[in-house]
Amino acid sequence: MRFLVRRVGFLLVTLWAALTVNFFIPRLMPGNPAEAILAQFHGRLNPSALKAIEVALGIGGHQNLFTSYVDYLRNTLTGNFGISFSQGNVSVASLISRALPWSLGLVGISTIIGFVFGTVIGAVVAWRRGGTMDNVLPPTFIIVSAFPYFWVGLLSIWLFSLTLNWFPTLGGYTATSTLSWSWSSFTDILSHAVLPAFTIVITSVGGWILTMRNNMITVVAEDYVKMARAKGLTPRRILWQYAGRNALLPNLTGFAMSLGFVISGAILVEYVFNYPGVGFLLLQAVNNEDYPLMQALFFLIAVVVIVAIFISDIATALLDPRTRNNR
Amino acid sequence: MKRPHLLRSAASAGRFLRRDKKALIGSIILFVLLVIAAFPSWFTPDDPAAEVYNPGAGLSWAHPLGTTSFGQDVFSQVMAGTRQSVMIALVVGFLCTILSVAVGVTAAYAGGLIDDTLSLVTDVILVIPTFPLIIVIAAYTKSASFWTIVFVLVVTGWSYGARQLRVQALSLRNRDYLLAARARGESSWYIISVELIPPMTSLIVANFLGAALYAVLAAAGLQFVGLGNVNTESWGTMLYWAQNNEALSAGLPLWALAPGIMIAILGSALALLNYAFDEVSNPALRPVAGRRRRKAVA
Amino acid sequence: MKKFKVGLATSALALVASTITVVGPSVVGVAVASAAPTTQAPLNLANEQGSLWSCAFNPFVPASLPYSFGLTYESLDFVNALQSAKTSPWLASSYAWSNANKTLSFTVRSGVKWSDGVPFSAADVLYTFDLLKKYPSLDLNAVWSVLSSVSSAGNKVTFNFKSAAVPYFYYIADQVPIVPQHLWSKIANPVTATIPNPVGTGGYIMSKCSGQNIQWKSNPNYWQKGMAQIKTVNMPAFLSNNTCNEYLASGQSQWGSQFIPNIQSYYVAKKAGNTYWFPPVANVSLFPNLTVPGLNDAKVRQAISYAINRSLISKIGEYGYEPPASQTGIVSPTFSSWTSPSASAGLSSTANTAKAAALLASDGYKLVNGVYTKGSTKLAFTLTTNGGYSDWIASMQVVSQELTKFGIKITLLTPAQATFYSNLFAGKYQLAYDAETGGPTPFYELRQMLFSGNSAPIGTAASSNWERYSNPATDALLAQYGTTTSAATQKSIVAKLENVMVTQAPVIPVLEEVDWFQYNATTINNFPTSTNPYAQPGLYNQPDWGYVLDKLAPKA
Repeated sequence: MRFLVRRVGFLLVTLWAALTVNFFIPRLMPGNPAEAILAQFHGRLNPSALKAIEVALGIGGHQNLFTSYVDYLRNTLTGNFGISFSQGNVSVASLISRALPWSLGLVGISTIIGFVFGTVIGAVVAWRRGGTMDNVLPPTFIIVSAFPYFWVGLLSIWLFSLTLNWFPTLGGYTATSTLSWSWSSFTDILSHAVLPAFTIVITSVGGWILTMRNNMITVVAEDYVKMARAKGLTPRRILWQYAGRNALLPNLTGFAMSLGFVISGAILVEYVFNYPGVGFLLLQAVNNEDYPLMQALFFLIAVVVIVAIFISDIATALLDPRTRNNR
Repeated sequence: MKRPHLLRSAASAGRFLRRDKKALIGSIILFVLLVIAAFPSWFTPDDPAAEVYNPGAGLSWAHPLGTTSFGQDVFSQVMAGTRQSVMIALVVGFLCTILSVAVGVTAAYAGGLIDDTLSLVTDVILVIPTFPLIIVIAAYTKSASFWTIVFVLVVTGWSYGARQLRVQALSLRNRDYLLAARARGESSWYIISVELIPPMTSLIVANFLGAALYAVLAAAGLQFVGLGNVNTESWGTMLYWAQNNEALSAGLPLWALAPGIMIAILGSALALLNYAFDEVSNPALRPVAGRRRRKAVA
Repeated sequence: MKKFKVGLATSALALVASTITVVGPSVVGVAVASAAPTTQAPLNLANEQGSLWSCAFNPFVPASLPYSFGLTYESLDFVNALQSAKTSPWLASSYAWSNANKTLSFTVRSGVKWSDGVPFSAADVLYTFDLLKKYPSLDLNAVWSVLSSVSSAGNKVTFNFKSAAVPYFYYIADQVPIVPQHLWSKIANPVTATIPNPVGTGGYIMSKCSGQNIQWKSNPNYWQKGMAQIKTVNMPAFLSNNTCNEYLASGQSQWGSQFIPNIQSYYVAKKAGNTYWFPPVANVSLFPNLTVPGLNDAKVRQAISYAINRSLISKIGEYGYEPPASQTGIVSPTFSSWTSPSASAGLSSTANTAKAAALLASDGYKLVNGVYTKGSTKLAFTLTTNGGYSDWIASMQVVSQELTKFGIKITLLTPAQATFYSNLFAGKYQLAYDAETGGPTPFYELRQMLFSGNSAPIGTAASSNWERYSNPATDALLAQYGTTTSAATQKSIVAKLENVMVTQAPVIPVLEEVDWFQYNATTINNFPTSTNPYAQPGLYNQPDWGYVLDKLAPKA
């Protein structure tokens, strides 16, 4: 119980920190670029949208800092992020809600696939220590995981799409199709998702393989594994039901940590593939100097990562009582 | 228990590097890149910025990697770009490590409220996703200079190392020889710098390499989307121009792939060395000699 | 038990992370029942705007007018910018100037119906112009700055001017979409109205609009018989240039307005019939801030003009798509007939560094440490260009390198778009690279560049003439042009303006801006071409692209 309270407390502190960082960045920047932008759009925004943006970006200067901060907190928590003036004056919230499912789908599925593959391969590799796989795979994956995500994406486009023509090149769906709940839309989306997902999986799987392998090696040296072997249990059973399970637990914590990295990498993957998710939207916002959209996206991404870490922390604690006392 | 001596750890690390193939390859690659970064003019047959050659040319002896759409030699550009990337890796790695050591060791040594506060700050920064944060900061500062990028990367990159170092420092803190030193009345500074830090050398080096790797990839990512200074020579900027001119679709794939390969090479070298130093810290990870196969594994 | 917990934990994660939801289409608009089912293939357009469509079609709002003006809404006459303002009748069957060019009257066509069946009349024209007067923010071309009154009688509409302003014919006749009085008079606030279902006289009616695609169908009751033969037109939304270029190159689109790098291998080679034509329409120029020491000297500006190699800049920065410009400011070949032989004598598209050096020497400048200096004035300037246009950055990199090598030190700055424009308009720069809007004859661009009334003091935003040029003699020439309809007089005035451009060099044209136009005529006839330039071909030219669309027909 006490553990739960601590974790929730930490969650709230990190969320608050993310909010505050988001609040202060535009105000600390030299020259206040946000002002110049807003001046251009003054005539075309309705007053409440204008006010929301002013509060989010710290312009106008007629409020004291504390009042602004309170307003900002209120706006953010009610989802009032203002208007995106680079995308036809639609509300930031609607833009984000259009893009979010694409990112959740792509990143979520890729992360899970990568994690599952990585864990299984890592366990097997560690079990066969000193074998060929152990000597070849870890260094190979160390190297592959050092590749920049976006470059692997470029390489995949050039190889599998432009040269071999196996998959469509860019985008989340075929341009003229109207998306609907139909089989053809589903296959269309799937075929556009393969290469981006492949990029994310291949660059992140190395990390999980290595972590799992390292954990397994430590576990395999433990006494109870020797005991299980002495008892005559089959190696397969020891591998999966004893050693693997215990090695998995620290890996789960690592999973949460690496989620942040995967999401960061995914931003660039979306950019390279022009996949219409949240990362691509963020980079478009940056290129268009659309600050309200940018701020909202940063906050959203931070929330997703923080909450995911929280959930996996709770899950790990449920599975492994040892971790509850670690802090 | 014998006091781990600075020289002894260094010597064992050195011996280990020579034996470990990964570390050897990593060191050689890194050395080559350092040479290229220090003396780029030895490796650039043409002026990298000069837009005078035949645009979009394929491979030839004069242009081993072809030319860009602007008529620049890709090979020379790639060689010239080494300096910026290597410098970012080294500078950010170095600054991050200093910060990580300072925070991690202080937290572990001081304990109590200081530890709690520093740990909280570390964890919060660790959890907040750094790349989007970097993007937002770089977007506001626009056309970020070298030092702006360094600043942003250091501020966001030190927390992982601090956490690792704190854990190790904590485990060392209560060892006999440290208690002996405290009983002797040695000052905290002495204890920290002479007794506490040296045994953590390999972990510190591993952290340096990890931070350097992070810096290379993050800086490349920033430049790729155009948030760096697009007028300079660096691998990330080359990728920006290639992407903006749709090099892959336009029939100039090497323009986009070559700088990426270089980033991958530098990254691999750092990653290999990082892993090798991780193994020095954790002997259980060291490779098992080939002949001693466990027969029980079927 | 542990197994269950592991399963629970993993599925909790899975639930959080794995929602493949499909973005639900937001279908806005009414599907119009077409007269007969069609088996004709739709025409797909490739026009990347970087965002999804917002399905607004108000023809007086800059963000939405490209999708309704020309196709759905028409104007009185069509003025062709590629043939020196050749005018063709559209909703007006004829027009005449009178009263020393201070009165313009149009005879409005009969037999035209709005797409909802209500007949069109001169009253709609009067209503439209009165609407612009009542809501100045709808008057995008500021026609009421020169009009004193508009009236209608029967099928005639008469415009009275405060003073002669003949060039405004283009804005009044070609650039104002005529809207239906019977519907618009019921709109509470036309300034903010989104007009999701536009009703116009034009050949195409918007039939379906979602964020991802706009679809138009041809108007079965269109007043121009035999036109608007293409039955269905799609304009999908693209978030980035790459995706759009791929779509165009693969042949899925037959008409595009894209910037395509390496167009031969990227586009032309990919499918039979892929062709392109880039007609030049205006100049992209260096705007020197005339208040900056050094740049306030005409000889320095002339030297800059001679020292740059425009052919090389075109080749390196723009793949050769944008031809070198002329210091006379006349865009060729589009307006070649206006070029004055005396003004253009001695100009070339490559660099003439010898002449540039001679000019500076005669002015007292000497090379000091590689930079031309005279007393305390050093020729070292910053050059600002729009950070969002990578091809302009590439062109300006060449310019910087050339000028620095010549002896005028240039530092290139590439601020992001919004900052670039706010600094440009306010005059907070030394050298800037941008383009004026131009118009159907060279006069329009020259006036935008040179008329002192367009400018503003440093610190206040100027709509054009950012270099802050002011010369009463030039103003007089510009005013004189406005009073005449005689082609010969117009040409001679422009020739004098060309002289101003060459001798005073207030603006330094570098390259000619083009209309981006790619097309595949394998299945469709009547695209405008260089031999038949009947309209501007860009999907962002209004009302031209609607005019072109009306003329296209499927090959038999």
